Amino acid sequence: MRIAGRQFASCAALLLCACMFASRGMAADWELSLDMRAVSSDGRNSFLDNGQGKLRFDDDDDGIQLGRLRAAWNQPLGETFSAHVEASTWDDDDKNPIDLTEAYLEYRPYPRAGWRTRLRLGAFYPPMSLENRALGWETPYTITPSAISSWIGEEIRTIGLEAQVDWLGTRLGHSFDFQLTGAVFGWNDPAGTMLAMHGFALHDRQTTLFGRVGALQTDLEMAKKELFHEIDGRPGFYVGAQARYLDRAILNVLHYDNRADPTAESIEIRDYAWKTRFDAAALRIETSNDWTLLLQAMQGDTAINPFMLLNWDFNSQSALVAKRWGRHMLAAHFDWFEIEFQDDPAASGSETGNAWAIAYSYDTGEHWRFALEWLRVESEVPARVEYLGEAAFARESKLELSARYMLTGDF
Amino acid sequence: MSSRAVTFRIHRAYSGSEVSGRGQTTWCRWLHAVLAAGAWCAAAQAQVGGLEVSVARQNGQPLSGAVITVDRESAPLGPAAPVKAIMDQVNLAFAPDVLVIPVHSTVQFPNSDAISHQVYSFSSARQFQLPLYRGKPYPPVQFDQPGVVTLGCNIHDNMIAYVLVTDAPFFGRTDARGQWRASDVPDGRYRVRIWHPLLNEPREIEGMVDVSAARGAVSIRLSKALRPAPLGSRPHTWDY
Repeated sequence: MRIAGRQFASCAALLLCACMFASRGMAADWELSLDMRAVSSDGRNSFLDNGQGKLRFDDDDDGIQLGRLRAAWNQPLGETFSAHVEASTWDDDDKNPIDLTEAYLEYRPYPRAGWRTRLRLGAFYPPMSLENRALGWETPYTITPSAISSWIGEEIRTIGLEAQVDWLGTRLGHSFDFQLTGAVFGWNDPAGTMLAMHGFALHDRQTTLFGRVGALQTDLEMAKKELFHEIDGRPGFYVGAQARYLDRAILNVLHYDNRADPTAESIEIRDYAWKTRFDAAALRIETSNDWTLLLQAMQGDTAINPFMLLNWDFNSQSALVAKRWGRHMLAAHFDWFEIEFQDDPAASGSETGNAWAIAYSYDTGEHWRFALEWLRVESEVPARVEYLGEAAFARESKLELSARYMLTGDF
Repeated sequence: MSSRAVTFRIHRAYSGSEVSGRGQTTWCRWLHAVLAAGAWCAAAQAQVGGLEVSVARQNGQPLSGAVITVDRESAPLGPAAPVKAIMDQVNLAFAPDVLVIPVHSTVQFPNSDAISHQVYSFSSARQFQLPLYRGKPYPPVQFDQPGVVTLGCNIHDNMIAYVLVTDAPFFGRTDARGQWRASDVPDGRYRVRIWHPLLNEPREIEGMVDVSAARGAVSIRLSKALRPAPLGSRPHTWDY
């Protein structure tokens, strides 16, 4: 069974429109934000331009850039249902000038005796990033999230049904809350393609539901970089758990498996079904004097079997420290990442690397948020030698100023 | 509750006459009792004008915001007159964090934020839900049963607050110095209860006081450190 993601998403979009029409009269919240950037980068040809550069903005992108133009719509549907739609444009060479990153229906009944269930149906992020906690699945700490969150934004989306059960212990006089999550999804079979093509990258460019990762791939033998398609008709799943200590500490774990058949292939997007599995854990601790410590780790593998089994093992770790003084915040994160193709660290397709990001931000609390970030990525990528004739090692850095203006309202 | 009562007597304390407390008769002598909940220190001091309760943390620092409820044990004076109270929602937080009201009072739950909230309680003392709203679309909620009602927002899990519904005639919260006073307390044997949302255990501490002149002071010191207070300073665009 092959079902195009477009087909599913069109149905979902129609359903959402119908729901919104049906609920006219109930106030909907909307958000609109414009994020402009001033960039100075010495990055190699960016992965968004089919290069092996690790940054969103490379050395051709110095100057003023559009960070993101984003519109979101949250529509209550009766007492316990709601619809959420996120649309964005990044003004690069994506397939569609404006596109969706998330669109889902949520069922969130009232808690009973300390228990609460929640269902989400549609396209959304799995609950694994304790870093991207701001509106639009952005990180509030820096401009560029960790390598782990960058990859999630690039390749992973749940298009399916997710159920959560919360035990709200803090409402019962205890110090802990617990949450279990399970989901069944499809339309994410190409996840893993980007790790194999260009490895980890550090960027805030989320892939859209109907779009692709940056510019058109001109090499007709290569995948079209469209990630939200169903190829083998086999649903994937993830299960996760979360423990919260008051509002001070959160521990989150997730096991993801898209259960793809690595022999399946899509002619339409010139890609395989990548059998991708990973385990992710994250711990976030916040103190009363506004320090934040965030540790993340992820380990997994992805494989295709066009004529023989080709396997990429990947892992990444990240540590973030942030300190807020009222509306001012200083934050830094350090990331390690590694991919090993066919158990050979020297193979084309393998890589190792690390990244530093240091950012200062000022949030006016109303409409404006300003951020200045310095990011440096060091990576050792054997494919650069084979395909680009460059040295395997590259050190790329970027200085970026972000000015974001946001409006919210209801209608 | 595993708290134990401490009994002491105050005889015309303002005139400097003898004070006795369960085998202890020295004026201004602290009565110590190690309780499951905390170390209680009861003092009988000359205090014209009413009953004063002081609450200190484990480290001796004053505990502000502790809820004090006082009622006569043998012949309860009955609850205070119902009030109309307001529990607002501002910057993704309930305001105030704790509301103390007599039974049969009503509470209005306006939402002063620009975004919608969905208030609920599944506490046994009062279960209710206010569907997603902004402004002040719903009539006030009436609270007819004494107890602690924990409030939450079904959209923003970090929002938490409490309505303490009491049938005691005297109640209030300690000030910045950890003190609370009641005036015009008639003679009798009184039960003093202490509650604070961050108490570690037990959640309620109580003690007895025999007041024959309606004047005196009670000092209470917790035995365990409080749980960390909620972080109130996060920007609202986080954890949407």
